[in-house]
Amino acid sequence: MSLRVQAEADLAVTLEASTDFGEPFTLTDPSEFASAEQLYGAVGDIGQVLDVDTGQAVSGRHATLTARIATLTAAGYTNLPEGIADAASKPWLVDFAGVSTASQRYKVVQSFPDRTLGLITMILAFWNPAAA
Amino acid sequence: MPTVLTALIDKQDNFEVVRDQIAALINLNQAAQVILATAAAEPDPSLWKLRVFTERAQPWEQVLNEPEKPLAEQDLSPIVNVWYENGTFPEAQGDTVKRQAHTATYNVDVYGFGIDQDVVGGGHIPGDLTAVRNATRGIRLVRNILMAAENIYLQLRNKDGAALGPGVWQRWVQSITSFQPDLASESAHAVIGIRLALRVTFNEYSPQVDESNALETVHVDVQRASDGMLIVDAEYDFT
Repeated sequence: MSLRVQAEADLAVTLEASTDFGEPFTLTDPSEFASAEQLYGAVGDIGQVLDVDTGQAVSGRHATLTARIATLTAAGYTNLPEGIADAASKPWLVDFAGVSTASQRYKVVQSFPDRTLGLITMILAFWNPAAA
Repeated sequence: MPTVLTALIDKQDNFEVVRDQIAALINLNQAAQVILATAAAEPDPSLWKLRVFTERAQPWEQVLNEPEKPLAEQDLSPIVNVWYENGTFPEAQGDTVKRQAHTATYNVDVYGFGIDQDVVGGGHIPGDLTAVRNATRGIRLVRNILMAAENIYLQLRNKDGAALGPGVWQRWVQSITSFQPDLASESAHAVIGIRLALRVTFNEYSPQVDESNALETVHVDVQRASDGMLIVDAEYDFT
């Protein structure tokens, strides 16, 4: 077993173990398929400051999810998550809770697959449910 | 020993008055537009709403901690920040003792926010698109308000006998520029900034100028004689 294959296998511990850094999340693809199996990965949602070049900052948040590609494939996802720009389509959606806050839904805006180590990092945006 | 001023400088300079007037005109008119939109039975009168501020420098924190609110409860109306950037004082348009023309540039920055929104029946409204539409709608309202005929002189034109005021000569939209956060920001909500730079020329007065007699009164009657000749009678008040 090569070191790279070993490193990918280690993701089960370093990325997904719920006793370590693994946090539960739900992933919904554009066809609205969501794996029934509980998925785990590294989640983040932190404050940041945006500079829109006007000389005045805007407060923002930077939300991310990192997941193991092999786990997503095994869970039934046929494609890797990606940002969907087409307004006529549903985007990839992610749900996870903060360490002390309720679960929140996000849209996948951008994804960075790391095919060397077998993981994918998703940049997330706030998601508003449909108006009643 | 140099002479010191013996009177308290307790006035506002006119560049401050003009800045506040720009903000007041935008604020009053956005409120009026919401009322007009309601009267016109527009489906969403809040699209005419602006949140107006002056000289704010601390970060905008809107759309930060309650993004999961339904859109109907989320106030995504554009933010407007009016601030003075710079001014020049042309020597040919003033005197060294009393009055100096001040050509100032005010930035009217409009911030549009957007959150990705689900659509019943399929598709979604991308947040980046919403942010741009909100910002451009905001700058559209600002430009139309400031360039309306009623505001040629920002309603600060001095009139005969009026107290000393800015005596605005001209206002002109110098430029409109769009900004976007840099690529590395990757924020969870979309923000777009658009700047309308407004150039305004008005008077500044030296502190010793007495507001009560800052303007000299000149009465002029223009009459046309039967042969078409114009006769001008001017009356100067020397008292």
